[in-house]
Amino acid sequence: MAEIRLENLGHSYDGGTTYALNPLNLTWKDGNAIALLGPSGCGKTTLLNIISGLITPSSGRVYFDGVDVTESDTARRNVAQVFQFPVLYDTMTVSQNLAFPLKNRGISKDEISKRIAEVAELLDLTKYLDERPLRLRSDLQQLVSLGRGLVRKDVPAILFDEPLTVIDQNFKWTLRGRLKELHRVTKHTLVYVTHDQTEALTFADEVVVLNEGSVVQSGSSADLFLQPEHEFVGFFIGSPGMNFLNASITNGLVVLNNQEIGSAKSFGGQNLDSGSVRIGVRPEFLTISNSNGLPVQIDRVENRGGYQLAHFELAGSKTIAKLSNETKVASGQSANLVFDQERTYLFRESQLCGRLVSKVS
Amino acid sequence: MTSTTTTKGVLSPRKKKASLPWSGLMFWIIIAIWMIPVAWLVLMSIRPSADILAGLEIIPSRITFDGYITFLSKDIWYGAYLNSLTYSTLNTVMSVTVALPAAYAFSRFSFAGDKHLFFWLLTNRMAPAAVFLLPFFNMYKAVGLFDTNLGVAIAHMLFNVPLAVWILEGFISGIPREVDETAAIDGYSLPRFFIKIFLPMIRSGIGVTAFFCFMFSWVELLIARTITSTEAKPISAAMTRTVTSGGLDWTLLSTAGVMTILPGILAIWFVRKYIAKGFALGRV
Repeated sequence: MAEIRLENLGHSYDGGTTYALNPLNLTWKDGNAIALLGPSGCGKTTLLNIISGLITPSSGRVYFDGVDVTESDTARRNVAQVFQFPVLYDTMTVSQNLAFPLKNRGISKDEISKRIAEVAELLDLTKYLDERPLRLRSDLQQLVSLGRGLVRKDVPAILFDEPLTVIDQNFKWTLRGRLKELHRVTKHTLVYVTHDQTEALTFADEVVVLNEGSVVQSGSSADLFLQPEHEFVGFFIGSPGMNFLNASITNGLVVLNNQEIGSAKSFGGQNLDSGSVRIGVRPEFLTISNSNGLPVQIDRVENRGGYQLAHFELAGSKTIAKLSNETKVASGQSANLVFDQERTYLFRESQLCGRLVSKVS
Repeated sequence: MTSTTTTKGVLSPRKKKASLPWSGLMFWIIIAIWMIPVAWLVLMSIRPSADILAGLEIIPSRITFDGYITFLSKDIWYGAYLNSLTYSTLNTVMSVTVALPAAYAFSRFSFAGDKHLFFWLLTNRMAPAAVFLLPFFNMYKAVGLFDTNLGVAIAHMLFNVPLAVWILEGFISGIPREVDETAAIDGYSLPRFFIKIFLPMIRSGIGVTAFFCFMFSWVELLIARTITSTEAKPISAAMTRTVTSGGLDWTLLSTAGVMTILPGILAIWFVRKYIAKGFALGRV
């Protein structure tokens, strides 16, 4: 259990030509569950391996509770790590596998068997303790791997590298719930790598979104959803992702389709400079009205049971509005589009720069 | 462990292959044809020399165990046999010991020239053994390894270490790097991890490698004969040097042949399961 602080941390696999991980600064509070979210190849596993000590970073420092551990080897850092695929020693039984991380650290036999019993209980593995891991189903094998990560009490952090990939879909929910419960009980600092937004958003207190080796945003699930700071976050999180519309600003007014639709304000309240801009708005924050709003032609309505998705084209971009079932809308119909005042954002060079204060509302 | 564990963990019934008609009979016919020289040798070893030379005789009319008795009592025979066993075993142990860390390095690390070096290991086997006779002879005379079992074992490493590295690398690469990383995170140093976890995991690979090292060393004649004279004379050399003034003792020679086949049969019996695995990895 420790606070983890990363200072100017960066890594390059080829001696500085390209960076797998661009220098970044992050601080994770003790006892938090942190999710590293991003597409494949965005550097999240590299970051995890740097924290566990498998990789020595090309630049920057890693601190556990203020102590610089950048040069310490994995054994001294004492973190636990669970990999994507079950890593078990098939020459040992399940209980010997669980005992393995403890045995090397001079812990008494009684204490070891106590810990194994506790972890097995927690993960429902008690009846498999004397089995060889190879004989078990793959999800049970991964549970044993998880158990190896949890068996040590004094670890500063437990790192998970997409641990639920091999787990059956139905079982994923159970396991995720169990992890969450575990976190609540043990208060370990958990770092969880995933490319699945649902997994990240439900699991973590803090989600760090990575793209192309850089942190694009770090915050709570709600922050990422309600106020994405980068176009990538808007697009990657949410289903469907954020709509983006090409527009421009002239004299502090946002022009979309040669029509002034509102004023462009920075978060400080000033007018934004003239130039091109992208409007970002989530499908959840678009509504249609009968009276006033931006006229659009609905192409297609998709009923998803609990809600409906209206597809239409606006300023050359395919746009989606997520509407409640009560809204009367049909394919081919024209409608008036209304932007949510609070949740319509402006992006420049992919970065959040301000808010659209709409005229048509 | 990615693929092996998951496929083994799920208990799925093996798909039954269609069986060929007459396959049972064909099997025994093929075996019979292959076994003819071996059976012939065994029969020769229990017949008196005179009978062997007399003519064709499928069922021996007279049986003698003189060949075996001579083989096991005469120092020149069993001594040579023991020599071969000694240097083959010694060679196997040394080759595998040297090859294990090398194969691990080739599999897990990248270093300057690793790919070329790995290929070069194979090209090493392309030179005929005769090429190395002279340097070995001269060198061994100089350093006092001439006519010793250790000398023969070391000479054979020239061929066996590359082979062992090549085979072991395949087995080691079949084990995911995460296993190493997990052990490091569990607090194990590389040497401890290697001995306590890694070796048991690749034991089948070690078995196959040891088998091949042993066999190559056991059947190799040219080098073994050149760099020995009396003390460490190998069995195959003893067999070629038995033309005496009294003519050839056919029975004894066949007996030696049977005895020479035995270790091979034993070795392959012990590793027969692993060999298939080795073939599956494409490295044998």
